Amino acid sequence: MAELALAAPRIRPRLGRDEWLMGGGLLVLALYLAVTLLLPLALMLAKSAQDRDGAFVGLANFARYFGNPALSGTVGNSLWVSALATAITIALAFGYAYALNRSRIPFKGLFRLVAMLPLLAPSLLPAIALVYLFGNQGVLKGWLFGESIYGPIGIVIGSVFWTFPHALILISTALGTADARLYEASESLGASRWRTFTTVTLSGARYGLISALFVVFTLIITDFGVPKVVGGPFNMLATDIYKQVVGQQNFQMGAVVSLLLLLPAVLAFFVERWAQQRQISSLSSRAVPYQPKPRRSRDRLALVLVVTVAVMILGVFGMAAFASLAKLWPYDLSPSLRHYDFSATDGGSWASYGNSIRLGLYTAAFGSLVVFIGAYLVEKTRVAKPLRTATHLLALIPMAVPGMVLGLAYIFFFNAPGNPLNFLYGTMAMLVLATIAHFYTVGHLTALTALKQLDPEFESVSAALKAPFYRTFWRVTTPLCLPAVLDIALYFFINAMTTVSAVVFLYSPDTTLASVAVLNMDDAGDTAPAAAMAMLIVVTCAGVRLLHVGLSRELLNRTQVWRRR
Amino acid sequence: MTTPYLRVRNVTKRFGHFTALDDVSIDIHRGEFVCFLGPSGCGKTTLLRAISGLDIQTHGAVEQDGRDISALPPAQRDFGIVFQSYALFQNLTVAANIAYGLENRKRPKAEIQRRVTELLELIGLPESGPKYPGQLSGGQQQRVALARALAVSPGLLLLDEPLSALDAKVRAHLRDEIKILQRRLGITTIMITHDQEEAISMADRIVVMRGGRIEQIGAPLEIYHRPANLFVAEFIGAMNLLPATRIGYGEIQLGSARLACAAEGYAPGAAVRAAVRPEDIVCTGKTNGHANSLRAEVREMEFMGPFFWLSLGGGELGEHRLRAQLPSQRARDLDLRANDATHLHIPAERIRLFPHGVGHG
Repeated sequence: MAELALAAPRIRPRLGRDEWLMGGGLLVLALYLAVTLLLPLALMLAKSAQDRDGAFVGLANFARYFGNPALSGTVGNSLWVSALATAITIALAFGYAYALNRSRIPFKGLFRLVAMLPLLAPSLLPAIALVYLFGNQGVLKGWLFGESIYGPIGIVIGSVFWTFPHALILISTALGTADARLYEASESLGASRWRTFTTVTLSGARYGLISALFVVFTLIITDFGVPKVVGGPFNMLATDIYKQVVGQQNFQMGAVVSLLLLLPAVLAFFVERWAQQRQISSLSSRAVPYQPKPRRSRDRLALVLVVTVAVMILGVFGMAAFASLAKLWPYDLSPSLRHYDFSATDGGSWASYGNSIRLGLYTAAFGSLVVFIGAYLVEKTRVAKPLRTATHLLALIPMAVPGMVLGLAYIFFFNAPGNPLNFLYGTMAMLVLATIAHFYTVGHLTALTALKQLDPEFESVSAALKAPFYRTFWRVTTPLCLPAVLDIALYFFINAMTTVSAVVFLYSPDTTLASVAVLNMDDAGDTAPAAAMAMLIVVTCAGVRLLHVGLSRELLNRTQVWRRR
Repeated sequence: MTTPYLRVRNVTKRFGHFTALDDVSIDIHRGEFVCFLGPSGCGKTTLLRAISGLDIQTHGAVEQDGRDISALPPAQRDFGIVFQSYALFQNLTVAANIAYGLENRKRPKAEIQRRVTELLELIGLPESGPKYPGQLSGGQQQRVALARALAVSPGLLLLDEPLSALDAKVRAHLRDEIKILQRRLGITTIMITHDQEEAISMADRIVVMRGGRIEQIGAPLEIYHRPANLFVAEFIGAMNLLPATRIGYGEIQLGSARLACAAEGYAPGAAVRAAVRPEDIVCTGKTNGHANSLRAEVREMEFMGPFFWLSLGGGELGEHRLRAQLPSQRARDLDLRANDATHLHIPAERIRLFPHGVGHG
C-alpha cells in the first residue's frame, strides 16, 4: 500500500475565486512595496558605485570618502555624539519608567502624558527652543559656562529631548510586565534591595533596555533636524548627506554616506527584533502583576526625577511657544501673533501648513488602507506561501531605512530619466508614497498584532459558508480591528506632520511642507516664525490626538456594542 | 451495501520530511456519526482539514457523494464546520451569525428570518437572536456555532473538538444534545476528539489514530471489547496488561495461576500480554465457586463513590499487580478490607492476548 501511495500523483490544489483574488492582491502589494521601497534603495546602492557620469567605479567613492578627513571625521562625530545622547536618554528614560511603574508617586497619568509630548513635535522644535534658551541671546546662556550651544552640546540635549518618549515606551513596557512572584521569592530569600534590583528588575527589563538602546541610537544618528539647527559647524552624517546633495549636488557621495547610515539602522533592526521575541517569550501567562509598596525614600527620589524631567520637557515647549508669541525677542516681549503671519518670511507660508495637513490626511487614509489590507493578505492568504513571506519581509524593511536614505533613494529612482513614474516627481502623490513607505513597518506590525488576536478560523468558517473572503473582511475583520486601524491612521498623520528627513529632498515649490518650512525659516534666520510653525505642528498633532481619543471612544460606544457584556 | 457518502482513499499529508498522515483510507456512510479519536499529534486534525480542503493532502483522494473533491478549495466543497474556539463573529448578533451563510446564497429575507428562528428553536435558544456572542455562555456559543454551520443544510458536518473548551457538566449535556440533533437531522458527521469517553458515547463508529495511521475502525462496543492491538487496548478505557505465558491448549499462566482464554495464534511457551479490564474482574471474597480463578491480596482500596478501585497483588499473582473495579454494594456484602485475601474470577472470554512487547510507543 505504501508503494501505491508513493506512486500516486501529487495533488495539485485547485484555486477558487478567493485564492485567486487574495494571491493577486498579495502580488499587487508586493509590487507596490518593490516600487516604493526596494527599487529606489537598490538604485541608490548602485549609485554609490558610480561616478557623476554614471560609469561604474567600484568602491572609488568610498575610498575618496574615507581618504578625506573632513568628510570621514563625521563618522567619529556621529558615533560619539549619538552614543553620549543615547546613554543620557536611556538613563533618564529608565529612571522615569521606573518611577512610573515601580513607585507610588502621584499623578502618574499626567507625567506619562507629558513624557509623550515630544512625539507630537518635529525634532526641530527642541533645537529651536535650545537656541532661545542657550543661544547667543539665550535666557540661560550663562548655564553653559561660556560653551556654545551650537555643536555637540546642543545636538546631545536636543536629541535626548525628542527621543525620550521612544525610549520610555520601550522601557516602560519592559518594566510594566514584572512578575510579583519573583520579588516575593527574592525578598523571602533575604536578598538585599540592591541585589533584587540587579537580579530581578534589571534582568527582567534587559531586553527592553537593549531594544531601547539600539532604537534610540539609530534615531539619533539618522536624525537630521537637531544637528541642522544647533549643529553649527559640527558635522553629523545626516547633515552631511544634506550638504552633499542639496549643497553640492554630489549625489554619489550622498549615496555613500547614506549607506554608512544604513549600517547602524540595519543592526538596530535585527537587535530590536531579537529582543522583542525574547521579551515576549520571557513573559509567562501566570505572572502576577507587581504592585509597588510605598517606600518614602524611593518615592521621594522618583518624584524629584520625574518632576525635573517633566519641567524640562514643558520648559522646552514653553520656550518655543513663548518665542513664537514674543513680538521681538529679546527686546520686546509683549505678546503678538505677528510671527504666525508667515507672509514676511522666506521659506514658509500658511500654504506649507495646508500642504502638511493634506499630506497627513492622505498618508493617514491611504497608508492605513494599504497597510491594513496588506497585513490581512499577508496573514490570511492560504496560497502562495513564498509570496507571503517575501511581502512580509518587504514590509519590515522601512524600519531599517533612515528617512534621509529613503528620500535620497526616491530622488534617484523617480527622477531617473526613462522611469515611467517620473511624472510623480515633485508632486504631493510622491510625498505621500514616500511617507507611507517611511513609516510602513510600525503600521504593518500593529495591524498584524490586531489580526492575530482574532480567531484564526474565521476564514475557514466563512469559506464553509461559501462567503467570499472580502465579505467577511468587510463585515467582520475590519470592524473588529477598527481601533487598530485608527491607531495606524493616527501614527501616519502625526509622523507625516512632523517628519523632515525623507521629504526634505522631495518637496517642490508647490508642495512645501510645514516641517520643512521650520527648517528653511530657521536657516534664513527667521527663528521666531520657525518656532511659530513648529508650534502650529504641535498644536495640530495634539488636536488630532484628542480627536483620535474622542473618535475611538465614540466608535466603542456606537459600533462595538458587542464588546459590552 | 450502498456506496459510501464520503470516501477517503490512501490519503497522505507531508510537511517537508514529516509525514502527518500516512496512507489513510476510510469509508463513511450517509447519516453516520464518526469520531476520529487519538492522542494529540495523531493526525486526526490533519485528516479533517484534508476532508474540508482547508489544508489539502499531498497524495490520495477524497470523494464526497460520488464527486472527486480531492483538489477543490473549501469554498467549492459541501460541509459545515464547528471549531473548539466557536469562531463566532463577535461583532454580529447571534441571529446575524446564523444568517451569515444564508444571506450569502441570496435567499429572500423572510425565508432567512424563518430559518434563523427555526434554528434558534432547534438549539434551544429562541430568545437569544438579538444578543451578541459575548453575552452568552461557552456552551450556548457553541450551540450558536452549530446552528450557523447547519443553517445552509450542508451534506457533511465537521466538528473539530467542539466540546473541549467547555467545563465537564456543560460538556456532558451538549454531548447528548449534539447526538440527538445529529440523529434527528440524519446529517453525516465527523467529530474530532481526544476524549475517548466522548467518542464512545457519541459515535456510530470510531476511527482510532496514532502517528498518522489508523489503528482500528469499529463501533464503540467493538473497539472497547475487541481492541485490535495493544495501543487501542491501552488508549481506550482502563486496562490491565500483564505479562503471561501461553501453556497447554487454551490456557495461560499468569503468576502461578492458570487461566483459560482464547489463545489461538500463539505457540505454546510464547510470551504474551494478557489484557483484562478492571470491571471484568469479579471479586468473590473467601468463596471460590468459579473455574477461572486466582487468589490475591488487597493491597489498596480507593473509594470512588459507586465503586472501589482495588489494587491487587501477592498470592497467585506474585509480583504482578492487578487493578479491579469493585461495586460499592458488593464490597459491603463481602466486607472486604485492605490486606484481606480474596478470590478473583476472570471470565475466559474477557481475557485478550497480545504479542509481548509490541505496540508500545
